[in-house]
This record gives sequence, C-alpha cells and structure tokens, in this order.
Amino acid sequence: MTEVLELDDTPEAVFAEFCAREWCDGLPIVPPTEDRVRAMLDGRPPGHSLGAMPPLWRAATFEKLAINAVMAGSEPACFPIIVAAVEAMLDPAFNLYGVQATTHPVAPLVVVNGPYGASIGVHGGQGCFGPGFRANATIGRAIRLILMNVGGAWPGRGDMATQGSPAKFSYCIAENEEQSPWAPLTEGDVVTVYGGEPPHNVNDHVSTTAAGILANVADTAVSLGSNVGAYFSQAQLMVVLGPEHAATVAGDGFSRADVQRYVYENARLPLGLLKLSGMWGMHDWPGWMNAITDPDARPPRVPSPDDVFVLVAGGSGKHSCVIPNCTFSRAVSRPITR
Amino acid sequence: MGKIRVLSPVGVAAGESLTVPALPRQWRGLTIGFLDNTKANFDRLTAEMGDLLRTQHGVAKIVHRRKANASTPAAPGLIAEMAKECDVVFAGSAD
Repeated sequence: MTEVLELDDTPEAVFAEFCAREWCDGLPIVPPTEDRVRAMLDGRPPGHSLGAMPPLWRAATFEKLAINAVMAGSEPACFPIIVAAVEAMLDPAFNLYGVQATTHPVAPLVVVNGPYGASIGVHGGQGCFGPGFRANATIGRAIRLILMNVGGAWPGRGDMATQGSPAKFSYCIAENEEQSPWAPLTEGDVVTVYGGEPPHNVNDHVSTTAAGILANVADTAVSLGSNVGAYFSQAQLMVVLGPEHAATVAGDGFSRADVQRYVYENARLPLGLLKLSGMWGMHDWPGWMNAITDPDARPPRVPSPDDVFVLVAGGSGKHSCVIPNCTFSRAVSRPITR
Repeated sequence: MGKIRVLSPVGVAAGESLTVPALPRQWRGLTIGFLDNTKANFDRLTAEMGDLLRTQHGVAKIVHRRKANASTPAAPGLIAEMAKECDVVFAGSAD
C-alpha cells in the first residue's frame, strides 16, 4: 500500500518536504496526487511490477513509475516511453546494478525512435541534449527519479559515482530521423537505453570528406582515461553525428556499416601508450589481446563494429559527439507499447 | 491553509531480504576466502590480512580468487566453488 502524505498545499511546502525526505533531485516537483497518478497510469494495473530494481531491489510497479513521472513533470503521453525504458534497463544485459552503484559517472541515455516519440515532442533536432524540450527533459528526469526512489540509488548511498554527472538529471533524445541519410537506429516505435558518459564533443569545421570527419570522431572516442577498451567484452561506443556531418559522410558514399567499421578500425591507441592508461593492470582482455607484445600494435577498443552505434541528432552546425559507455553494460532496446 | 494528499514515490522491497550469518567466534582451522574485485591494492590488503589470520588466529587456509573485472558480478561457477571450499568469504572493493 503506497504511503499517503497530507501536506500544506503550497508549492514551497511540498517541495521542502520532498527534499527533506530525499525524494527528489533537488529541483521542484509536481505533487503526485492520486488524480494525477491515475491519469498517468491511463488504465494500467498499478500493482503490476516490471521487476526488481537495484540496488535495493524494490518492485518497479506501474504505480511507482507513474508517481515519479508525475513528479518529473511528464505528460501521460510520455509514460509509454518511460515504461519501455524501465523494461529495457531491467534486462540483465544492461546490468542496472552496476550502472546504479558504480563510481563511474554513467547515466542511462534514452534514445527514442519512431513516429510516436515525434508526435509527443521528443526532440532530436537543434540542441537536443540540452534544455527547452519538455518531453526530453521530463522523460529523462522521470527515469532518474525512478532510479533514485524505486531503485534506491541516492548519491553516496547506492549511487557511488565519484563526481556524478549533469546527465544524471535528465538524458533523453530522439534520433533526427528526418535529417538522417540512413535508416533509423531502430525501426518503429522503440526505446534504446545506453549506459553512457555525457557527450564528448567532436568539432570539425574544416573536413569535407567522410575520412576527415571520422578521423576526428575516432580520436575523440578513445583516451587514456576512458573505460572503453579496458573492460573489453562490454565496451561500446555511440557516435551521434550532427546532420551536417552525417550529410558529408554519407555524401562520400559511406553507409552506416561503413561508419561503424571505420570507427572500429581507427578508434584505437598503441599498446605502448595504453600501458599508461588509468585502467592498465585491472583491464579485462581476451587471451589473444593479452598476447600482443608489439608496443606499436593498436588493439581494438570494442569487440566488433556492431558495438559502435551510429545515429543522427542535432541541428545546424559542425558538431557531433561520441558517447563512450561505462563498459559494464550493454545497450538494450524495447518497443513502445500503448 | 488547505491540505494536499500526495503519494510516496519510494519503492517497496520486491522480495524477502537476506540475513548475513554472524561471523564465526573462533577462526582456528577454518578456510577463509577473499574474492578480489580486481581493483588496485585489493591483493596486497588481503595478502596481509590472510597472513594475520593464519599466524595470529589459527586459520588453516586462505583462498584468493579474482573476478573478471570490478563491475560485473562474479561468475556463478566462481561463487559455487568458493561456497564449497570456504567457511567464510570476504567480498570487498579496493581503490
């Protein structure tokens, strides 16, 4: 039975109480009244659980998801996306326990594909990772509140991230399917969750070829301080090309698979340099990689080209980004069902 | 002042919680395991602890096993092996 609180009916009083109870992210919330939660549920059985959410293994019931979605400021139309994202995060392949509890600054990035997301305003255009778009902001915030309140990952207690990340407030975009030269990342109405660092910018104002742009992408994708490549079996990269960069790359005849292959082959560092990395000695490599001795050899940082996700998002301008994953979680997709 | 009724966003435990058994009061003759999470210095710390347990508390044997990496769970086979071989296993983190 969900606890019901009776509070003074002012925004200040409700906000103060939720902060005092460590029930919110530090920003004002919409009070989760029974009427608002019922509207969010839209007929779903409140007691139905999608599974136990770590680190405290609490039941992710529709009701609790809806309460947190109301608090985040989500409209009920966003709820199917929130539900699909939670379903995806609870897939064992996503390793939500690790994502929640690690000292790494990982946050689940929610990528929305398909017409439903577009119809409710999930934004994949100009400034999509930033502020200004209610669906992006409140879906991402609902996910964070769920991870805190249902999963029990409070900073320093369950969520042991050393520094945390702005992406832990909200991290949700759509793919800019209209301006992509390729097929969507996923077909139909689908949510993909990806345990990523915040975006690492790729500024290329001069290249006029695919190789030129992707050389900058590949260089941004690897660094000595990155997890990617150290825990090899689950290392993944997400390349989010701005539409202008994507048009240049595709104009050179590159398919998505070509981009994946190029980044796989070129986002590498020489073994001699890798020995200076911050994970050297605790890295987890297969035997064939451990057998390499040539200091100039450049072993791969992800297991295969399929572990390089390529999508298009953003608006005008010569910027793209790379999002390294935390390397103990693999991306998971789920259909959006209404 | 008017009142507003709001619902708690906090989840409810999905199942029964586990109770950790009490540590033994006497260590003599026991086999003690350390599950290394691969982070730096865990091996040094537990090597020293193992020496102390053997020389000062009569522990019969120390078993040291290592996970594949720090952020994924220990393989089920590794857990089963340690459960079979050890009387007590310490799983910890080092940085």
